[in-house]
Amino acid sequence: MARDAAGAAGARLNPQVDSLIRAAQRGDQDAFEQLVRTYDQNVLRLAMNLLRSPEDARDVYQEAFLRVYRNLHAFRFDCSFHTWLYRIVTNICLDQLRKRKVRKEESGVVETPGGSIDRMETFEEDAAEADPERVMWNRQLRSRIENALGDLSPRERMVFELRHYQGLRLRNIGEMLGTTEEAAKNCLFRATQKMRVVLGDFL
Amino acid sequence: MTCNAVGKLIPLYFYGELPAGVEDRVEAHLHECAVCTREMDRMAALSGALGRRQAKVPAPLLGECRADLRAAIQGGAPPAGAPAKGPWTLFLEAMGATLAGFSRWRTPVGAVALVAIGFVGARFSGAGRTWWKPADDAAFATVRSVQADDSGRVQIAFDETRRKVISGRTDSPDIQKLLLTAFHQNNPDVRVESIGLLSPGTDTAEVRDALLGALDRDPNAGVRLKALDKLKPLAADPEVRKTMARVLQTDDNAAVRMQIVDLLVTRRDESTVGVLQSVVQREDNSGVRQKLEKALKDLNASVGTF
Repeated sequence: MARDAAGAAGARLNPQVDSLIRAAQRGDQDAFEQLVRTYDQNVLRLAMNLLRSPEDARDVYQEAFLRVYRNLHAFRFDCSFHTWLYRIVTNICLDQLRKRKVRKEESGVVETPGGSIDRMETFEEDAAEADPERVMWNRQLRSRIENALGDLSPRERMVFELRHYQGLRLRNIGEMLGTTEEAAKNCLFRATQKMRVVLGDFL
Repeated sequence: MTCNAVGKLIPLYFYGELPAGVEDRVEAHLHECAVCTREMDRMAALSGALGRRQAKVPAPLLGECRADLRAAIQGGAPPAGAPAKGPWTLFLEAMGATLAGFSRWRTPVGAVALVAIGFVGARFSGAGRTWWKPADDAAFATVRSVQADDSGRVQIAFDETRRKVISGRTDSPDIQKLLLTAFHQNNPDVRVESIGLLSPGTDTAEVRDALLGALDRDPNAGVRLKALDKLKPLAADPEVRKTMARVLQTDDNAAVRMQIVDLLVTRRDESTVGVLQSVVQREDNSGVRQKLEKALKDLNASVGTF
């Protein structure tokens, strides 16, 4: 459903966010809570989609919003709050992804004799499928997608996630990741190329 | 533009990230070049394959994250489910934490603390059916400001929330009103339970609208399914059918879509047939698609629109 994406876009444009930030900077706890609630669903979804683990996503949520809480006094409105928040969130997620690369571990994916299964996928969908061939095909495709995403560098993965799933513009993504729009474009190009190669005959 | 150049621009073209002039040139090339058009199709196929990978956030997780954060910020707030302490112990602990180092804070203190104060007495409300009483002897309050003066006095402003238990028959108006209020709670289990307990005998417009709101907007599929279950006796109501037809076209949960098809086919009308014919064309779940095809057959309608 598109309702969350619309919510996120609305939050980025909401002029009330500035007044919430100013109130929170003055110590208004209600304003801070409202500010968190404006963005936290999308932050959690981003962390879940990237890390495929509720435990890790919960850690990212806690760390990100605590950093916001501790540093909000230093926010000077020289970029949008959304960009500032996502800079924090993406840094924490990138650290997690890099640690996983080192450990060669993808905690959300479970290996089975029938291929790898993402434990965050809902089994409801498989259960609703009456056609076993289609279920198998879907499972193989999911497995291949996980491999393809696993082959991306943490930064490529992040750029792809933010563009494809979060619908952010590459200019904003570059700003969040402390790089240029051009570099974000290159990342997106490399990411799609790699995935098209790995998914090959499925496309 | 060469195929090589266009190939490098296809992902950016697909995501709408090219400047207008370049986009026009890529588009013109795609109109003339079958090889690059095939590449563009593969890009769209990749996007479609990845579209279904979006992780679902388990409904209770957001609530837990918010509770963790609140507890961390408040520093010392008891975690949910912690053994209850006496009200005065909690009050004194909270005040002790808030007032610690008070000599540094002559101005109002912005920190918020969770405290509990005693609550005495039960009260009777309603016409002989409903008793109100506190769940325990504690009421929780959020301290908004603490201000001390030089004479040793302190002024504390706080908001108070009391937990109460209400018991009564499910058909009691008070109970029904609370059940409707529970539709808006964060916890999906509470929402499912509340919907399940709505009295079938009270199919008022308010209940119907609340159920339609849950079906249309609740983020949890379990809640939406429960709402559909409760709407079964109202499946012939035009407003209910209109909402179900809309949700059938937008809901991402296959079980919800299947349930809606079952309810819609209980009555034949032209607009239902049109909706089913339209949905079956783009349904990607084979189970739902089969159900739609069977429904159209049962309604003596063709699968496609001509």
